[in-house]
Parts: sequence; C-alpha cells; structure tokens
Amino acid sequence: MIKPLFILVLLLLSVDVFGNNETIDTIAGKTFELVDQKIPKQYKKTAFDSVSIVESHSLSELIQQHSSVFIKDYGPGSLSSISFRGTGASHTQVQWNGVLLNSPMNGQVDFSLYPTIFFNQAELHHGAASLLDRNGALGGSVLLKNSQDFEAKNTAFIKQSVGSFGAYKTEFSSAFVQNKWLFETQLYYYAAQNDFEFKNISKKGNPIEKQKNAEMLQYGIQQGIYRQLKNGSFGGRIWLFDSNRNLAPTITKDSSSESQKDQSFRALLEYKHLRNKLSFNITSGLIKDVLIYEDKSAKIYSKSNSYLIDNLINTNYYLNNKINIINNLNIRFETAESGGYSNIKQRTQGSWMTGFIFSLGRLQLNVFNRFIALNNVFNPFAPSVGGKIQLLAKEQLYLKANAGINYHYPSLNDLYWNLGGNPNLKPEKAEMTEAGFSYTKTIKNSELNLDVIGFYNYVSNWIIWLPTEFSYWSPTNLKEVENKGVEATFSLSSTINKLTIKHNANYAYTSSTNIKTDNELDNSIDKQLIYVPFHKFNYTLGATFKNTSIYYNYNYTGLRFISTDNNWYMPTYFIHNASISQQIKFKKVNLTASFKANNLLNQDYQAMAYRAMPGRNFLFSISLKF
Amino acid sequence: MKKFLFHIILLLIIFSCKKEEIGPQCLNCNETPISNTSSTDVLIINEGTFGWTNASISLYNKENNNVNQNVFKNANNGTNLGDVAQSFLQINDKGYIVVNNSNKIEVVNISDFTSLATITGFNSPRYMLKINDSKAYVTDLYSNSIQIVNLNSNTISGNISVQGWTEQLVLLNDTAYVCDMTNNNILIINTITDVLIDSIKVGISPNSLVIDKNKKLWVMCSGGFNEENARLMQINPTNRNVVQTLTFSNINHSPSSLSINSNKDQLYFINNSVYQMNISSNSLPSIPIITNSGNIFYGLGIDPSNNDIYVADAIDYVQNGMVFRYSVSGSLIHQFTAGIIPGNFWFIE
Repeated sequence: MIKPLFILVLLLLSVDVFGNNETIDTIAGKTFELVDQKIPKQYKKTAFDSVSIVESHSLSELIQQHSSVFIKDYGPGSLSSISFRGTGASHTQVQWNGVLLNSPMNGQVDFSLYPTIFFNQAELHHGAASLLDRNGALGGSVLLKNSQDFEAKNTAFIKQSVGSFGAYKTEFSSAFVQNKWLFETQLYYYAAQNDFEFKNISKKGNPIEKQKNAEMLQYGIQQGIYRQLKNGSFGGRIWLFDSNRNLAPTITKDSSSESQKDQSFRALLEYKHLRNKLSFNITSGLIKDVLIYEDKSAKIYSKSNSYLIDNLINTNYYLNNKINIINNLNIRFETAESGGYSNIKQRTQGSWMTGFIFSLGRLQLNVFNRFIALNNVFNPFAPSVGGKIQLLAKEQLYLKANAGINYHYPSLNDLYWNLGGNPNLKPEKAEMTEAGFSYTKTIKNSELNLDVIGFYNYVSNWIIWLPTEFSYWSPTNLKEVENKGVEATFSLSSTINKLTIKHNANYAYTSSTNIKTDNELDNSIDKQLIYVPFHKFNYTLGATFKNTSIYYNYNYTGLRFISTDNNWYMPTYFIHNASISQQIKFKKVNLTASFKANNLLNQDYQAMAYRAMPGRNFLFSISLKF
Repeated sequence: MKKFLFHIILLLIIFSCKKEEIGPQCLNCNETPISNTSSTDVLIINEGTFGWTNASISLYNKENNNVNQNVFKNANNGTNLGDVAQSFLQINDKGYIVVNNSNKIEVVNISDFTSLATITGFNSPRYMLKINDSKAYVTDLYSNSIQIVNLNSNTISGNISVQGWTEQLVLLNDTAYVCDMTNNNILIINTITDVLIDSIKVGISPNSLVIDKNKKLWVMCSGGFNEENARLMQINPTNRNVVQTLTFSNINHSPSSLSINSNKDQLYFINNSVYQMNISSNSLPSIPIITNSGNIFYGLGIDPSNNDIYVADAIDYVQNGMVFRYSVSGSLIHQFTAGIIPGNFWFIE
C-alpha cells in the first residue's frame, strides 16, 4: 500500500506543487476571499441559498425540502438517510470542508445529526459531478462548508426557539476578526419531547395516539481559528457534537425501550494557498465517532468506535487562459472496533485524480482520471469526461454532457461483520452518463435560471445482503441496477424597489430497476427499487419587503414501492410549510422575530412504512444580531 | 405580488386534494373472505416484513391447488394481522396465531378466520402448546418466562420462570419439553403443577424438537453462529439421558425445522436442502430428499395425511415468498406464491 501511494505523492509533487517556484501576488481586484475548487458548470449541482439553510432545522430537512433528492426520514429525532438518483444510502458521500464524514462501518451518514447552524454553505453534486469530489459517490455528494471571510465585521448572533412537542432550541454564532486572525464559534442546543399525535392506521378504528419514546437532546460546539497569510490562509476547526435520543417504535408496536447515543469529535487543519497561476489547499481531518445503541427490554447494549483520518491536497494550476490542470490527492485511513467485528478493523485508501479543463471560445471540456489504491489493490482507471457549449453568442444557453466511471468500496461492515461479512467483495461500479441544458437570463432586476438534465447510470457489483444457506445473511456483489431519470431546477429572483422575491423549484423523475438475480423465483427483476420515489417535486418562495420576510415551501414525494416485487407501496405525500419573520433594527442590533408553521395543512402521512410523522406544528424564534 | 399570491393559491388547490391513503398499501391483497376451510386446506403462516404489520395467512387447497392470500385480513374488514406471525396452533375449531412482534395471539374461527379474541400481555411470544382443553403454554424470546394461557377466558393466567429465550415445545403425558435457546437446555415442566422440574443439557441453540413413535425425544441444535458443530440429539425422556448424538461435519451448517411424519418414524429437517432420516438410523443422512437448486429453504411442514413435504423460499425477504409441495418421495407436485416470508405450515385437522 505505502509504495504506490509514495510514488503517487512523488508524481504529484514533481508535476505540480513545488515544481512551480514563481511568486505571484494575490489576484488583484478581488477582496480577499478564498475560493475552493469549483466544479465546472457542465455538472449538475444544487447550491442551497442561505435562507433555505437558515430555515431548515437539519441537513435532512434542507435536502428534503429544497432539492430533488429523497430523504428517508424515520420521524423527528430518528434516523434519516438519503437516496440520490436511485442509489443506496452509502452511495452518497458527505464532506465537511473536504473531509469525508461517511462512517467507515456502514458507509452512511445520519442526516438528522447535522444541524444547519454548523455550516454556512451547502451544495449537492449530482451524479457525474461527484466524480470530481472523491471516488465512491455513485449517486451524488453533499458538501458542507464553512466560509472564511477575513473582511467580515465582528458579529454575534443568538437565537432562541420554542416549538411544538416540547422543542427548545438555542443557537449561537460569532465571528471575530483581529490582526488577520479569524475566530468563529457556533453553539447549539436542542431538546424535544416529540410527543406528537398521529392517527394509528395499524389499529382498529385508527385511534389517535401520542408518539412514544422519541425524546431527544442534541448539543454541540464548533470552533474555528484561521490566520490570513499573504497568499492564503491557515487554520483549523474543532467540532464536537453529542446526540442522545430514544428511538420511537413503529406505530405497530406499543412501546420501545431502544435508545441511541452518538458522540462525534471532528477536527481539521487547512492550509489554503492562492496565487495567480497556482492555487492549492491541503486539508487534514480527524473524525472520531462513538455510537452506543441500547435496548433495555432485550438487554442489548452495543458500542462501536470508529476513527478516520482524511488527508487532501487539491491543486489547480492555470497553465494558460485555455488550460487549467487539476490534481487532487486523497489519503484516508479508517479504523473501527465493534462487537460485530472479531477484532479491530482498519484500512487505508488513496486516490489521485488528475486532468485538465480546457476552454476554447464557447466550448469547455474536461478530462480526468482517478487512480485508486485500497490496501494492496490498485485500480488505475476511473475516468470522467465532460463538456459544455454555449449555443448562442449572446444568450447564456448551454448544452452539457458528462460521463464517467465511479467505484464505491465496500464498508467495513460489508467486509468483516461477524457473522456474514464477506472479505472478498469487489467494489461497486457505476457507469454514469448525463446530458442536458442550462439557461440563465437576466432582465432588468430579474434573474431566471433553468437547468434540465437526463441521466443514465448503470451500477454493477451492487452489494446486497441476502440470506445464505447457513441461517445468517451475507453480502455479495450480486445486484445490477439501472438508474435513469430527469432532474430539473427552475429559479427566478427579482428585486423591485424594496421587494425581493425568489422562486425555486426542483423536480426529479427517477426510475431505478433491479436487472439481475440468481434466483429464478425472484420477482424483483425489472421492478423499481424500494424507497425510490418516481416523482419528487418541491417549490420554495421567499419574499422580503423592507424588514418583513415570508417564506413558503411545498414538497411532494411520489409513490415509493416498499417490497421488491412492487406489490406494496407507500402513497404519495405532500407537505406545506410557511414562515413569516419581522426584523427590527436598533442602531447596531438587529432583532428578528419569526414564526414558522410546518405541515400547514395537517397532513397525515408516513415517509417510511409505519413511522409516525407529526401533523401541523409551530416554531417561534427570536434572534439578536450584533 | 398579487400574481405570486395567485400562484400560491393555485398550487394549494392543485396539491391539496386530501387522499385517504396513509402508510403501506398493497396492490394485490384484497380478495373475498374465505367461507369454509376443510381438512384439505393447508395454512401458510407468513411472518411479513419486520415492523410492518403485514404478517399474513395464506390458504392452499391441496385438491384443487387454489390459493387464498391474506385470509385473516380479508375475513376481518381489512384489519392487519400484526407484525411477524411466528407460529400457528389449532385447538378444536379455533386457530391461534402467535404474532411475535405485536406481542399477542389472535384467536380465530378455524372455518372462516373471523377474529374471536386477542390474547394480549406477551413480551415476544414464539410457540404455543396445548396442555389440555383449558390450558396452553406459550414460549417467549425476552420475557424470561413461559406464559400460561387460559383457553376459556383467552387471558394469561400465570407464568413459569425461565432464564432467557424459549423456543419450540412438545407435550408427552404430563410433561412439557421446551427448547431453551439461551442456556442450551431442554427444560422439563410438570404440566399439572406448572413447575419447572429439571433440564437436560444439549448442544448450542436447540431450535426444534419432536417425539417419535417410541416416545423418544429428538432435538435439533444448530450450533449457534459457528460456535460449534450442529447436533441432532436423541433423548430418552423417561431417564432424561441422551441416547445418541449425531454431529454435523461442517461447522457452517445450521440445521433447523426438525419435523416428523404422521407415523412418527421418519424425521425431516432443513440443512440447506431437505433431509429425511429414519428414527432407527445411527447416522445423519448424506443425500437430501429435496435438493435446493438456488433456493434458501426457510419453513418446513409435513402433511400428516399423506406425508407430502412443504417447504418455503422467502427469496429476499422483501417480497412474496414461494412454497413448494413435494411428494413423500421428493418429487415436486406444485409450487405457488404465498405472502412475505412464509415460515410455518399448518395442516387443518
């Protein structure tokens, strides 16, 4: 393992980083703002605006309500996982300032554990776009970022919210700049009873019942310290997060004694360097996750620890005004201990992506290849190509197309779970293609964006756990899946005098079918994968007039099959949310009062089978900003 | 602004038509209720997906091969049977469906499956055994006890303390023999006094047991998860001694579903394939009577009227499973689709 990586590092260093000894000052004209590598425009991304981030309680809610991606939400306080373009939960990767957060154990992320206060930028990279981030995101990736703004004024922000079902939330953030040092702090506390009422459709007469055993408590702190340098910055962050929750039973059970504790320690160091021709950033992250699951009545107590160290070097070299060379290196070390493993498991994975972006007039092309090394196995070929062309000289109308190959390596659980883990698993392979167009038009005070993309992904060696002849389950690379669909985004924002209005709509059609089995009786062939909605749509309206803002969100999730033979399904549901907020300015202090109503029409629905969801509920907040 | 408000109202109108469908819906589950079951009917007890309350009963007629699905639900105005139907017991004209994760036993009229009563108060019930016309025992996964059920009032009248998970159980004269999965014992209970009187040490994870025509007890011990080799043990209940222990050669093997024919001289069990073994044999059968060709066999039942062999394949456990019916010689007679995770059979008496 060490050898090929060492060679990779040498290659990378000799080609790029230190091969260039020119000293060029910071790009003139722009205030000092550090911009990370941006994904070329031919790729599909969803960039969440700051209003959506602030209005959303957690990452789970943000994605569900403001993108075309489906979130598997097991109810307030419970697990929340993701299905991106018809893929499984481990096929979406979540990065925090470049550090990959996915659990080494199951390869997944619980989206309910990421309150939005802890990041101020978030975007989704759909399909082929994620090829440029890392290997392994067969559906897409979620990028959480904390911007470094050395020009910002010193601010402090505190917000207190009280809501239905015993919800109390306190959020604090501050940013403080002095002598080129930036200090940033975020604090978070959230407690909720989640004892909402629901109609229990699993019982005779559909009685109204209260949700049981769903109490939760989350708190955390993130501290960032950065130093502005002549051509960049250096600094780090520490993020501690604790979550304690009881796990509510399905509505078919009267009680549950399950609880779960998640404790995370996350730290990273970043060095960013920006020059005229060369920019790079070096990031090193350490993540420790502890998960304690307990079921008192079944006398089950299990604790697992996982650690990971994730190192990145991303470089961008502007050869000339036509060619931009990119080299990204990543070395990731993962280890975990759990009652489910016979001993401590660990592995090292490295990848090096190299390629260039070429611009010529109205045409832009990019070609990349990724080399991957996992323990002693070297995979030299994971290419991606993409391009866009501006159709008319005066109109921002682009045609775009991308293709590539992506590999997702099995999780430690897939490999080593005792019993069943299969150390001979091969990586899952996705062959991704997509094509579409985007159009941007600015008229007077309005800007319109339209983006439509069709995709086709063929995933082979998809890992599936199946019963074996020996009474336990075991994973194999059996499954082959064909994902195809369309994603469309429309946004329109306009400012007329003191009125600002933003519309944003997302739609996705996803067909995701299983095309391989070794059991001739298997009726899942050519059927839609479970929990992949055919249709998903949402619409958000934000309007601000002087100091008053209103916000409205509608989201529609279409039918999802829940048995692999497509005999059982979950019906469509649609939820309306709205809020109004009023800002009052006193000299240097901004006071904002807001009132939010979720599930405005009090819909009875379930996102996941037999998981109760709350009806109409409210959140009242007061915040002060200095 | 007016324009935008108009759009919002339009949206509200379009998307606000309330639908009454909440929660999981089945496309092909509704059939007319059954009228009169007979002794030519076989029940398939489908566990259903864990957590979904879609446990179900399928009814197969062995003369005309007709299959009715969701017999309980269709007989009871669409009420779900519950979560994880574990086992079934017929006592005279009543059927008892043990619904494990719903912590209950549904009592139905055996002729049309209309609900008669629900016995509640269990923790995690597994198997039921009739002791006499007014008393039955129910084993449990978590409660550390065997529940005593009063069959007249359909209530739990008491319990017998044990330690851990109790599984299958059989009755011989005034004694019940119970698989103790936690401590690897066969528990011996006096059914007159309801007192645990003794236990016999067996192999790891005794999951099933039967009594043969010579009143000998046969116990299948799966060996746990690769903890030791599986064993089939023959026990003399009179002196509580182990008569013989037959050990499976491969530690990976995890045999289950020990069953016996109507003459009580042929044993059957699943060990990947289905095997048959004469009770006089001193060694494990090496050739299966039914070879699994790509199937993972889950449940096993032997028809007492003709010794036909019924075995199920739950496929991926998230779709309707398949049931195979073989003749006594092991040739396939018929196969049909049942519900999700078919795990147990009952031949209506």
